[in-house]
Amino acid sequence: MTKFTDHLWSDLAREHGATLVHADRPEPGRARLLRRPRVLAGSLMLGLAGVVTALVLTLAGSTPAFAITTNGNGSVLVTINQTSALPQANAKLTAMGIHEQVTIYMTPGPASVSGPVTCAPAPGASISGPTLEVLVGSDGTEVVGSSQTAGNTGAGTYHLGHCVVTGDAGSGASGTSGSTGNTGNTGAN
Amino acid sequence: MRAMWERPVSARMRPRRLPPSSPLQEFEQVYLRNVDVLVGHFARRCRDPQTVADLTSETFVRAADGFAGFDPRRGSDRAWLFGIASRVFAHHCELSARSRDTASRLGGSRPLEEDEIEELAGRIDAEREGAALMRRCEQLPATERAAIELVDLDGLTPKEAALALGISGVALRKRLSRARSGLRKEHHGND
Repeated sequence: MTKFTDHLWSDLAREHGATLVHADRPEPGRARLLRRPRVLAGSLMLGLAGVVTALVLTLAGSTPAFAITTNGNGSVLVTINQTSALPQANAKLTAMGIHEQVTIYMTPGPASVSGPVTCAPAPGASISGPTLEVLVGSDGTEVVGSSQTAGNTGAGTYHLGHCVVTGDAGSGASGTSGSTGNTGNTGAN
Repeated sequence: MRAMWERPVSARMRPRRLPPSSPLQEFEQVYLRNVDVLVGHFARRCRDPQTVADLTSETFVRAADGFAGFDPRRGSDRAWLFGIASRVFAHHCELSARSRDTASRLGGSRPLEEDEIEELAGRIDAEREGAALMRRCEQLPATERAAIELVDLDGLTPKEAALALGISGVALRKRLSRARSGLRKEHHGND
């Protein structure tokens, strides 16, 4: 994909993601999907004192693709168990009224220190929402098997090097630049 | 050096071929399968990168709006999208002054960045042979021109092209045959 098509998808996911997530697809499409390995889509909202957790389940009985947690101090933790679910997580942020979008940068190798990474604003981005933190997997490391990638490219172990956040209006850089740092980066080399 | 090893993960990175677990993922796969060919489709028709961007955006905005009604049993997603694209382009021709409405629907005008303009300008340049063929088709009726463009340039199957144009497969093949015949005659006439 080119930068333009990447940006266009980000715009579409941000503006229409919430609608698409809940789109009532025709039965034929749904039936076609059910022939594939046990796939279950759904959402679960948990309300706790000072804590709100949003989960989107993708595989029955397995780890959620992502989870969004609002901490008591107002910061938001985005846990990504499948990096392919990032557009969904961004759409969920919008649906939750958090007008910020996250782009993450994975780096080869396991995380040297486990824990979430605090996203830095993209250059020129005007961020007025809560601080966003991203945690990949349970400890910051993702293992991509050869069967999970097209042409067996990209297989290996990765950790979250850094992440950037852009505003809802997509002002400034959209997170594709790797020039920004972050605070409290616990996953970088 | 470190940046070379980094693997940015955003919408552009789709390393896995997992089945879609939600309509959003399903739409994303539709997007990824078709966005490049649609950019090329509009790049042959327009010389302005911003217009190519607007038309591509409008097509996918309409597709997102109508995705709940898209039934893959009735035809491929490519045929469905090209049907939308043809209406978007027709609307653009009629009301080109309003073509920037897309930007506002996407949450505010986002002028293309310099490298995006360069990308699209490069794509327009890459499509110049196709654009030249389309200019040769100008003497053909619009219906025949559309048929030959969808099949011979955009790579749709005749069935997909027929669906996109809202005509029967028989009618599509007749138009395609007439268009190719017309081009051959023109080519021999120029020799």
